[in-house]
Amino acid sequence: MVDDPDARSGADAAHLEGCPECQAQLKAVGEDARSIASLLAVPEARVDVGRAFERVVNNRKSQPALVRFPILRPSARPFTLAFVAAVAAVALVVVAFTFAGLFYNPTTVKTVPVTVADMQALSQLADYGTLTWTNEPQLQATTSAADASTLAGGLKPPVVSKLPDGVSTTVTYGAMSEAVATFTFSAEKAAASAAAHGKTALKMPAGMDGATLTITVGPAVGEIYGELKQPSSSDPSQINLPQLVVAKSVSPTARSTQVSVTDLENFILAQPGISKELKAAINAIGDPSTTLIIPVPVEYATSTQITVQGVDGVALGDNTGVGGGVVWVKDGHVYVVAGSIKRDDAITIANNLK
Amino acid sequence: MNLGARRMATAKSDDEAFEALFTAEYARVVGIANRVLADPHEAEDVAQEVFIDFHRLHSATAQYAPAWLHRAAAHASLNRLRGARRRLKREVAQAAEEGDRMLDPQKQLEVNEDRRQVRQALGRLAPKPAAALAMRASGLSYAEVAQALGVGIGQVGTLLRRAEAALRKEVTRGTSN
Repeated sequence: MVDDPDARSGADAAHLEGCPECQAQLKAVGEDARSIASLLAVPEARVDVGRAFERVVNNRKSQPALVRFPILRPSARPFTLAFVAAVAAVALVVVAFTFAGLFYNPTTVKTVPVTVADMQALSQLADYGTLTWTNEPQLQATTSAADASTLAGGLKPPVVSKLPDGVSTTVTYGAMSEAVATFTFSAEKAAASAAAHGKTALKMPAGMDGATLTITVGPAVGEIYGELKQPSSSDPSQINLPQLVVAKSVSPTARSTQVSVTDLENFILAQPGISKELKAAINAIGDPSTTLIIPVPVEYATSTQITVQGVDGVALGDNTGVGGGVVWVKDGHVYVVAGSIKRDDAITIANNLK
Repeated sequence: MNLGARRMATAKSDDEAFEALFTAEYARVVGIANRVLADPHEAEDVAQEVFIDFHRLHSATAQYAPAWLHRAAAHASLNRLRGARRRLKREVAQAAEEGDRMLDPQKQLEVNEDRRQVRQALGRLAPKPAAALAMRASGLSYAEVAQALGVGIGQVGTLLRRAEAALRKEVTRGTSN
């Protein structure tokens, strides 16, 4: 409210009128702001918008075609937070249905495009059974790599050899214990949930009712660069995202004794609302039992297949510095390098990780 | 209207929307980058890259479009500022260009030196406060800064005051070294 009158509320303005102390304070702060503005003063850039537009359009035409992203309708915007939260849930579901009948253990990584509609369709799957934790994940932050390693059952945090310019050297180590969850399919629960939404549930394949799927994730260990600040209690939206996160986890596994991968895959892909693109991408994956599938929300991120540390990996984000990351699987471990950095910097860090 | 014709109509309106967005925001996006880089040519390069990236990934009718562009301009130009090679190149080009324009070489030298030190200090700040300063100095309102950085409007004043104090400290540190 100091140097932007539009941001000053009526109550503030009324108080200011009769408070010499606040007036003096405001004057001092205003002078400060003006002196900083003069420090940052530059000759104004004179732009030719028409010519610049031509350059941008020509450059765009010469670039290889990428997946064109659908419009995020304004009506879907309040859904954004739930959408982001659903990514985690969908990741679990997508991983779950790629397991190969009895055993799932990824050795490589691929992405599949997911849309808001896919998220909604897949999130209904949570109503088709009950998830119970045998071992709940325990997350802990420490200031030493050795402590983190102990908490993660001896898994050592990866070492970053060189940080990109601008990334804080303040580091916090984090560790997660091994977590085990069991999902039990229930035809009765599926029917009740569908009925509550005024729909009819898809018939489960023979043997799926009562079948269990046991998923194990972690242990995992990693480091977070940048200052970690708790979101303030008065405004929980004020979360400071770390500049860089580097993590290593034992590859997740999934086991089931009752259902086959084909049955489960067909059942999930038959859910109403799942896009053709997602179905095609899942079907194109050669061996789902050894592939870690990363759902990439098409409205928010872009991805490319790359080679990292001599194996196949996936790079996410762009080179604006808003966000970038790399994920790969090597020697039974999943690695992630991500943060508010350029994608190319994330790839460099990934390749030099020890 | 058949599917093909409908697709063409969507594509056309999308292109039109992008042109309208470009016309409305280009100068502001260049302004933010120029405030960080103090180099109009490089600022235009950054702005054009930002628009190309935006158009590849997003729809021009998205409500968040201006906020996305402002944030990307600040981050992309701050990233450039931190690249040592580019910094040197920019300073040489800047000195040559401004040397042509100004009459008093001694005064120009001082202005250049001050500007260089302020940019170095800006590059040493954390990305969020640095971006907030660049956006505000280039004329964005508190509401626009808040949207671009994803913070509440009530936080912008405090964020800017802390950023100003941090920049002042960095400038002093730079000149005393």
